Amino acid sequence: MSEGLVHGVVYSVVIVTVVLTATAMALWFERKFAARLQTRLGPTMVGPSGLLQPVADLLKLLQKEDIVPANADAVIFNLVPLLAALAALGAAAVVPFSPSVVASDLDVGVLYVLAIGAVTVLPVFGAGWASNNKLALLGGMRAVAQSISYEVPLLLSAMVPVILSGSLRLGTIVQAQADHHWFVVWPFFIGIPAFFIFVLAMLAESNRIPFDIPEAESELVAGVTTEYTGIKFALFYMAEYIHTLVASAVGAALFLGGWDGPFRPGLHWMVLKTLLLFVAVYWIRWSLLRFRSDQLMALCWKYLVPASVLLVGAAAVWVVLV
Amino acid sequence: MRSYFATAARALSTSLRNLLRRPVTVEFPKVIRQRAERYRSSFALLHEEDGDEACIGCLQCERICPSQVIAIKAGGKRESPISGKKRGYADDFVLDLNACIYCELCVQVCPTDAIVMTREPEVPAYGREELVLTMAKLYANEKSKHRAWGDATRLNGMQVPPKAPAAPKPASPTAPAAGSPAAGPTAAEKANGGSPPAAAASPAAPSSTAPPVAPAEVPVTGNAASGSAASAGPPPASPPSGGAAGATASAPPASGTTPATGASSAPVTSPSGADAPAAPGTPPTGSGEGGS
Repeated sequence: MSEGLVHGVVYSVVIVTVVLTATAMALWFERKFAARLQTRLGPTMVGPSGLLQPVADLLKLLQKEDIVPANADAVIFNLVPLLAALAALGAAAVVPFSPSVVASDLDVGVLYVLAIGAVTVLPVFGAGWASNNKLALLGGMRAVAQSISYEVPLLLSAMVPVILSGSLRLGTIVQAQADHHWFVVWPFFIGIPAFFIFVLAMLAESNRIPFDIPEAESELVAGVTTEYTGIKFALFYMAEYIHTLVASAVGAALFLGGWDGPFRPGLHWMVLKTLLLFVAVYWIRWSLLRFRSDQLMALCWKYLVPASVLLVGAAAVWVVLV
Repeated sequence: MRSYFATAARALSTSLRNLLRRPVTVEFPKVIRQRAERYRSSFALLHEEDGDEACIGCLQCERICPSQVIAIKAGGKRESPISGKKRGYADDFVLDLNACIYCELCVQVCPTDAIVMTREPEVPAYGREELVLTMAKLYANEKSKHRAWGDATRLNGMQVPPKAPAAPKPASPTAPAAGSPAAGPTAAEKANGGSPPAAAASPAAPSSTAPPVAPAEVPVTGNAASGSAASAGPPPASPPSGGAAGATASAPPASGTTPATGASSAPVTSPSGADAPAAPGTPPTGSGEGGS
C-alpha cells in the first residue's frame, strides 16, 4: 500500500518534471518549426539556435504586471489558470511511457484520460465568464461548444483500440499491440481512419489551428485569455502545450503501439512516437487556415461522428469475427 | 468540405516543401545586404579643394526642401580667410533627418555641390536628437562616410536635354531632310547640327563603335535629342552620335550639344560619367545646364 504510494509520488514528480521541461522545449520547437515551414529562421538570438527562448519568454511574462479586471470575479479569475494547467497535467498520470514507467496504470485509463480532457474545457469557460469581458465570454462559449462537439468523435475513436484490445487500461492496450500488430498497421482499414479522427478531434480539443475558433485572434482579440497577463497567461499557454503533448502521448499509446519497437528500449520508442505525433500536430497547425464556426460543426457532426460510429461498429464486428 | 480536404493536402505539402528549403531570412544586424546603387542614408557638407567651406549660404536647399527639414542661418558675404575673395557663408546649417524624405532635391539644387548624400551611417538611432544633423555632424560626415552616388552636377546632368544655345550655330541645310518624321524636327536638327564639328574633332575612332553604343544608352535617360539621333541613323547620323560620345571628353568647342548625349549616359557608363561633371565645373559660364 505505502509502497504503491511512494511509487506513485516518485513517478508523478518525475513525469511532471519531464512533461514541464518538454513543454518548454515544445515552445522553442514550435517557433523554430513554424519558422522553417515558412522559410524563416525563428528564434536565433537567445542561446545557441535560440534554445533559451522559452526561458526568456517565461522571465518576461514573470515580470509583467498581474492585472485582475475591476469587475472580474477575482476568485474564479485567479483559480482557473491553475486548474487549466493541472487538468492538462493530470492526464499525463496514466500514460505508459514503458511497461514500467507509468505513474498510475489505472484499469480505466482511457476513460480517465478522456474525462480529464473534458474537464479542461471548464477552466477555459470559467476564464471567459470570470473575465467579465465580452470577447473572453464569446471565446469561452465557443470553446465549450467546440469541445463538447468534438468530445464525441474523440471518445468514439478512442473506443476503437479499446474494443480491439478488450481493455480500458492503457498498458494492456499497448501490450495487445506489442503482442500482435499496432492498430494502425492491422486492421489498418479501421485503425488508420480512427487514428485520423482521433488526431483531428485532439486538435479541436486543444483549440489549436485549424480549430482555434475560441481564440480567433482576428475576431476575439485573444479569446478567453484576453484579460490575462503575466504568469496567469503563461499558465494558460502552458496548459495548451501540455494538453497537446499529453494527447500526443495518448494517441501514440492507443494507435501507434506505444513502447513497442525493435532494438531500442520501450521508453525511446514511446518518446519518439509521441514527438512524431506532436510534430504532425504542429505541421497541421502551421499549414492550415481556421475553420468557420459552421464548418467546424459540420465537420464534426456530419463527417467525424458518423465515421467514428461506423468505425466502432466495424471494430466490434472485427473482434467478433477474427 | 471535400474541396477543403484537397486544399488542406496542398497546404500541408507546400509547408513540407518549405521545410526542405533554405530560410530566406537575412539576419540583419549580423548580415547587411548589399545596398542598392542609389542607396542613401545621411548627408554631408563638403569643403572646397582649398579647404574653404563649399556652402555659400544661398538658402536654395532650404527653400526647395518639401518637408522643410533644413534650417540655415546665412552669414552674408564676407572675405574668405583662405582665398581672400568675398563670398557667402552659412553660419549655421541644421538638417533634421527625422522628417527627411530622402528626395535629394537639396543636393540637386545646390549651386556649389556643397551638400551631398552619404551611404553611411545607418539611420536608426536611439533618440530623435541623434537624427538632427548639426553643422558639425554634417562636416564630420564629409571625412568619414561613403558618398552616395550623386551630387548636384551629376543629378542635373540627368535632367531634360539642354536648351540649345550653342547648338544651332553650325546648323546644316541637310538637317531638316535628315530629320525622321517621327522625331521632333528640332531635336533631329540638334542631333545632326551638332554632329559635323564633333565628327571633325574626333573623326575616325568613335565612328566605328558608334552605332551599337548609341541605341543602347539612349533609353536609359530617355533623352529626346539622343533618341532622335538614333532614329535619324541612315543619312549622316551614325558618325554624329559616335562623334558626340568622343567629343565629350576631347573637344570643348562642341560642348554645346554633343555632351548632352555623352553626359546623359553618364550614370550608365562610368568613364564618361566621371568626365562629364568635371567639364561644367571648370567653365560654368553661359550654359550652366547645357554644359552638364
